[in-house]
Amino acid sequence: MISTNTIRRLMRHENISLFLVLLFIVVVFAVVELFGIRGGNLSKVAFIQPRNISNVLMQISTTGILALSMCLIMISGGIDLSIGQMMSFLGTAMATLLRVYGFSELGMVLTGLALAFVLQLFMGYLISRTKLEPFIVSLAFMTIYKGLTYLISNGSEITITDKFTFIGQTYLSITDRFRIGMPVILLIGLSIIMSMTLKYTKFGRKVYAVGGNSNAAYLAGIDVKNHKMLLYGLNGLFVAIATMSLMSRIGVGSPLMGEGKEIDVIAAVVVGGTALSGGKGNIWGTLIGVLLLGIISNALNILGVAPYWQYIMSGTLILVAVVLSYLNSMRTTTATANK
Amino acid sequence: MPDDMILEMRGISKSFPGVKLFENFDFRLEKGQIHCICGENGAGKSTLIKMLSGAYAPDDGDIYFDGKKVSLTPHSAMGMGIQTIYQEHTLFPLMKVYENLYVNQELTNGIAIDAPRMIDKAAEVLNYLHSNISPLDVVGRLGSGGQKTVEIAKALIQESKVIILDEPTASFSQTEIDHLLTIIRKLAGGGISIVYISHHLEEVFKIADRVTVIRDGQKINSYDLKDLTEQILIHDMVGRDVSQFYRREETSIGEVIFEVRNLSGPGVKNASLIVRKGELLGIAGMVGSGRTELADLLFGVKKATSGKFLISGTEVKIGSPFSAIRHRMCYITEDRQSTGLFLILTLDRNIPIASYSRTRTPFAMPKVDERISEKYIESLKIATTGVSQKAMFLSGGNQQKVVLAKWFATNADIFIFDEPTRGIDVGAKEEIYKIMVELLRQGKAIIMISSDMPELISLSDRIIVMNSGSLVAELQNTDINEVNILKNSIGGSLQ
Repeated sequence: MISTNTIRRLMRHENISLFLVLLFIVVVFAVVELFGIRGGNLSKVAFIQPRNISNVLMQISTTGILALSMCLIMISGGIDLSIGQMMSFLGTAMATLLRVYGFSELGMVLTGLALAFVLQLFMGYLISRTKLEPFIVSLAFMTIYKGLTYLISNGSEITITDKFTFIGQTYLSITDRFRIGMPVILLIGLSIIMSMTLKYTKFGRKVYAVGGNSNAAYLAGIDVKNHKMLLYGLNGLFVAIATMSLMSRIGVGSPLMGEGKEIDVIAAVVVGGTALSGGKGNIWGTLIGVLLLGIISNALNILGVAPYWQYIMSGTLILVAVVLSYLNSMRTTTATANK
Repeated sequence: MPDDMILEMRGISKSFPGVKLFENFDFRLEKGQIHCICGENGAGKSTLIKMLSGAYAPDDGDIYFDGKKVSLTPHSAMGMGIQTIYQEHTLFPLMKVYENLYVNQELTNGIAIDAPRMIDKAAEVLNYLHSNISPLDVVGRLGSGGQKTVEIAKALIQESKVIILDEPTASFSQTEIDHLLTIIRKLAGGGISIVYISHHLEEVFKIADRVTVIRDGQKINSYDLKDLTEQILIHDMVGRDVSQFYRREETSIGEVIFEVRNLSGPGVKNASLIVRKGELLGIAGMVGSGRTELADLLFGVKKATSGKFLISGTEVKIGSPFSAIRHRMCYITEDRQSTGLFLILTLDRNIPIASYSRTRTPFAMPKVDERISEKYIESLKIATTGVSQKAMFLSGGNQQKVVLAKWFATNADIFIFDEPTRGIDVGAKEEIYKIMVELLRQGKAIIMISSDMPELISLSDRIIVMNSGSLVAELQNTDINEVNILKNSIGGSLQ
């Protein structure tokens, strides 16, 4: 028996409205499919089949992992546009290490992580030490990564046949038709770690302080510059993990594997309730944002909506989410002004 | 109204919520007159300027310009030729001098913008002002003095009849000051009237034709310069009602806990001071005298170029707020909203944040943070709905208490307060005073910067006066009074 108190606490939870939107959209799509194209036959509705659900989870895992660290960066008031091209770069580079230079899998993993960490740490160094906008600095890095990718790959995919299959080919089978892939397990595990970091460590608490008011954070003894720099380094690690997970799944390092990923990721984080101005946001909201965008794209596919229209509908949804959060922030500022 | 009067205020009143600043105020400015306005911090100088420039409308009373009754808005004031040059620069730093001079009133040749003509005219005006600035210089590359000259040139191009200068010489070198005063005399000679506001008596005595002293929005007196002495001026500027003074209880003073020797850095020259346990050291001085800069150096916000820090007799290095906090210092800044609080974060994220620097564990337990926050909400009587309320929804006084709670949680011994009660209502002020006295009783040391004279006098055990970045006087016991503080704050070379 759930007490009214529990319900009330639940209703006040910061992610509740987002969660309700997710539920609402799932129900709407299921109903539309049920009566729209399946003639009321519930067992034929593809959208809610276990196989489809495991597919959706697999599809969102890459964006999800990237969104976790992007969420931290955005709470701290920053942004990183380079992640998509960095993924292509890391993917082709790691595949080359494996194929051409005969690296062991472990060697490749460690090299990839170290490379990503150092590069993004350097970007974070530039952002935290200068007054340059992270938007511009990461845009420059994005372009550099794109060039590096084509230098390495010459524009073609690098296959890693039968190598590094651990992440892509390992499943946890719940039933015959419902199995959870390693990338999804990675996403869940990393989500728990990041959520705990934000909640139970000084490092996590400082992320909010830096994004909420970096002057006050500095005066409260926080090493704002190094904190920001570390966040970008951390983001590099997550990009490397996401890249490995995708590469292991598709068996190639492709120069296009990260194309446009930064847009999906930032959109998901913003829909998940993180403010671009910093100081606000959380991991579970971000995950709901990722799920929401993933589910919408999946449902539109099932319903047979043309891809061009899918873009328009996804874009509209992002717009609605951002406008709603703007209206919400207006409401709070008016409340302060009237004080 | 005689013909030679350009601007006149009669019976002006202006009040703000809770404060009646101006009441039945008169002011007269003649053509070609240099009229200085003197008064303490908070006497109402800025409000007066804002009424003259049309930014504030008076609640009551009339303003006459050139014999006609007018109602001023920023736009109409400029149209009539009243130009205000504020303390902060209002030019576009990336644009050239001549472009700045003609912003929004560019000369055209009928079809397009006529740059050559604007450059010629700009050169003419700059030449008239004996300036070696070229119309093609980029404004942002000019120094403070140069930028002020450009603003004056802009007023001339707009054919101003009245130029109001608010603290024009802040951060000027002596040559820049002399050059500015020469320019102003030349303008007045050409029939332009000047309203000149300055903390520096030296400048006032060099340049004024007439001086008006205001205090708490009242005109105290107006003098022709020849009838004025420093004694009279200071006498007029001071004199508060005794009821404004807080009665502080005595606390026992212990050994020296904090000392700096020969500290220099941005805006501060060779400062040495000590403060003892249980002692409140007041820092007085006019706005811009380097008080906040001193506090920034003491707390490591800005890096000192030379000097020594000693805590309880041991030399320490303080190069960042982090190291200051590790040495049990804390700093309640002047502007709590922009440097003290995390407005969009909840109280249980505001209050424990500074104490993270005091322990080495990487973890922060929400339950512990909540408990600490609740403890201080209760002991400081912060009016809030609870720890999960955001700081922005609290009143000014309660926000200040949240800032205090943040520092109390660090268990600090040395407190630096910069304007602890600015923008706080009277009731909350007394509460903050009580909290400060309680700190002293616990043997903590306080360094307090304040522009609020009654506050400074009634709370301080000792007062150091700052003037142009230097500590110019130290007052104790019976020497602590308004006249002594003011004399040292604005004295300059007159001493």
